Amino acid sequence: MTTYTPEKRAARPRPPYLALLATWRGRIGLALVGLVAAAGLLAPLLTGHDPTAQSGQGLLGPGAPGHPLGTDELGRDLLSRLLYGIRTDLGLIGLAVPLGAVLGCLAALAAAAHPAADTVVQRVFDLVLAFPGLILALLVIAVAGPGWLPVVLVIALAEIPVFGRQLRAGILVQRGREYVTAARVGGTSRTRLLVRHILPNAAEPLIVQFAVSLTVAVFLEGAMSFLGVGVRPPEPTLGNVLAQAMPYLAQSPHVAAGPLVVITALVAGLSLLADALNREIRR
Amino acid sequence: MTASHPSPFSAVTRRATLRAAGAGTALLGLGLAGCRSAVSSEGDPVPAGDAKPRRGGTLRIAIGNDFTPALLFAQSAQSLQQGLLFNTLTRYDDRLRPQPELAVSWTYPKDGRSITLKLREGVAFHDGRPFTADDVIFAVQNLQNPVRAAQLRATASAVTGFEKHGDHELTLRLTHPVANLFDLFEFMIITDRHTVADAVAGRKLNGTGPFRFVKWSPGTGLDLVRNDRYWRAGRPYLDAVELRVAGQADALVSSLRTGQSQLSFDVPGKSMALVKSTPSLKITDYSTGAGAYYVGVNTTVKPLDDKAVRQAIAWAVDRDRLLAQSLGGYGLASAAPWPRSSPAFTEARRTHYRHDPAKARELLRSAGHRSLKLPLLHSATPGDTSIAEAVQYDLAQVGIDVTLEPTDPATAQKKLISQSMPALWTLSHGFAQVHPSTLAVSAYPFNEAKNTSRFRSGTYTRIVKEAWTTPDDGPAGRARYARITEILLDEAFIIDLVVRGQVQVASERLRGVSLNKFSQARLDDAYLV
Repeated sequence: MTTYTPEKRAARPRPPYLALLATWRGRIGLALVGLVAAAGLLAPLLTGHDPTAQSGQGLLGPGAPGHPLGTDELGRDLLSRLLYGIRTDLGLIGLAVPLGAVLGCLAALAAAAHPAADTVVQRVFDLVLAFPGLILALLVIAVAGPGWLPVVLVIALAEIPVFGRQLRAGILVQRGREYVTAARVGGTSRTRLLVRHILPNAAEPLIVQFAVSLTVAVFLEGAMSFLGVGVRPPEPTLGNVLAQAMPYLAQSPHVAAGPLVVITALVAGLSLLADALNREIRR
Repeated sequence: MTASHPSPFSAVTRRATLRAAGAGTALLGLGLAGCRSAVSSEGDPVPAGDAKPRRGGTLRIAIGNDFTPALLFAQSAQSLQQGLLFNTLTRYDDRLRPQPELAVSWTYPKDGRSITLKLREGVAFHDGRPFTADDVIFAVQNLQNPVRAAQLRATASAVTGFEKHGDHELTLRLTHPVANLFDLFEFMIITDRHTVADAVAGRKLNGTGPFRFVKWSPGTGLDLVRNDRYWRAGRPYLDAVELRVAGQADALVSSLRTGQSQLSFDVPGKSMALVKSTPSLKITDYSTGAGAYYVGVNTTVKPLDDKAVRQAIAWAVDRDRLLAQSLGGYGLASAAPWPRSSPAFTEARRTHYRHDPAKARELLRSAGHRSLKLPLLHSATPGDTSIAEAVQYDLAQVGIDVTLEPTDPATAQKKLISQSMPALWTLSHGFAQVHPSTLAVSAYPFNEAKNTSRFRSGTYTRIVKEAWTTPDDGPAGRARYARITEILLDEAFIIDLVVRGQVQVASERLRGVSLNKFSQARLDDAYLV
């Protein structure tokens, strides 16, 4: 009598975005980003102050009654400005980076579809990349004026060529692979080949790029608000809270400490996540 | 930034980003430590008894705004260099009495329709050409040219005839008497008539002042050296003056604290506490009222065409809080534009509008409004943003929802001149520090004929013209100034907040600095110890 023992199926590899949780980089990165994001999302629960409400108190140090982080020169609660600033920043980059990614990918697909389109898209990318991020920001602000939407536009515009170039390079690599040739010989249409077969394989590195772009977006928003061309005051953002703290850096460094720590944690967390993802994908 | 976008496949990505974040924090810390250390070394006491002027040395002035050559003949945000490169005909003392400069004496008949000036002899331009009466004629005609955008053009235009009596005496004929003729002489720089096109392009600035032009580097500043031909024997003491642009207030304050610059008039009120804590720096408040912060109202925008709504805004603003929180306490909370030194100043008018939100709400209700939504333009500098935010908050408390429109200072100035401001704006104005009529005939926000608020009133025009054409500071003159102030307060098309003089921050080593009434620096007697 023979006993049938079913063969153990080989375990499917975990997707990289889950595998990264097994690494210390991934865990720390996620913890930092999660902590900052939770602070922003739970802002209304964590503070009872309106971030724009002023008082006659002027600058108060940390530990002042009712103001754990103190107040700024207009008597506004610093904790609430910091927490709501995180909310604003997350909202901005959460909208702008995906927008830039989607538009960049669409441009890359268009470029892959026809050589003429490729030439046009590449030159447009060159044009956008020729302007450093802040110059691009000043150009957009000069036309559209300051505000929430122009900041989203600037970040998205800066990210379009980054994602576009990345995806285009991936498509070119995949096009030379045997499975593409086989599919083409098998009669698969150009569109189906591109969207169904090439795109999923070429898009994987974009996950890492997405995390990196979030980091860059934090810097770009911060720089714009710091220079006074970002979100309109008095709405707090990490950049404008930091900018308002600058005159008091020597005598009241606590005003600047909050946004500095948060920006550092957010950037470090996103960078660690990107690095962990990168390692998992390359494995 | 986009060009150097890191690749996700490079291990350098994470390191670079982390390094950038870490290095930024570390640099900030090091920078602060560096500042403190440098400041400590600067804090050496001045040797006792070392008060004798010393010849030599280079003075570095930190300026918040770059020199704008196109505004050489206008009152711009940065007028220091006018007093270094050029002279004026006369100069006011602290009590607004004209003192000789390039005009050594004058005869001003009672009818006020002419003035005869005797000019200083032995004065030469930097290129060696002698100064004559023709240069004065050119200076007046130059300001009459609308292209020069000179705020005192109306006064210059009242001069319609010139009679030369040799090279160093001339008579100016006026169409009518003007009360602020000596404001014109204080304001009007004497430039070389042959190189004026180069002057407004910033290529060559040829004057008779104590310092010669070397170069202007846009965005960096101006380099000047001692004028060895200067008409005041032994002056100036300094060998050179360098004006350096520090656009960011923190950079400007740091340059003063570390001794990289020795003088500035552009330290914002928010930074004064830091300056006060620096022993090597001293603060001098010129209570001249050379600048006043205000809220401007476009009277063609509904419902701001209603005086009651404008008055509600005037009652809603807490001037004392704004002065303490946004301006570091330097200035005078005032509903009227005048500094204490002005003949138009009275305490009652200064406090005409106090912070009274209930009264503001009542006025709004009486005008048929419970809430309003209005834009407010402001300069996007941290100091001006703080003022705008304070005003925004105060107006929100009475039901006026204000959207801030941060704008770069140059664009704000253009909009002010071209009368294209939105419903509300907040900036600062000058011209209240001299003759009261100058404010109403020369300053863009107040000009009776063409102001930024587009406010028109026959009564205002009549009383301003009366005050302007009647040189009289006696009781009748003061009654006219009172009437002008009453109209300004009642119509509230310009809502003054805080009258601020020039606040000078200088190194303990620097002596002998002064300013004229139009913020032109006088460094003839300045020296470093």
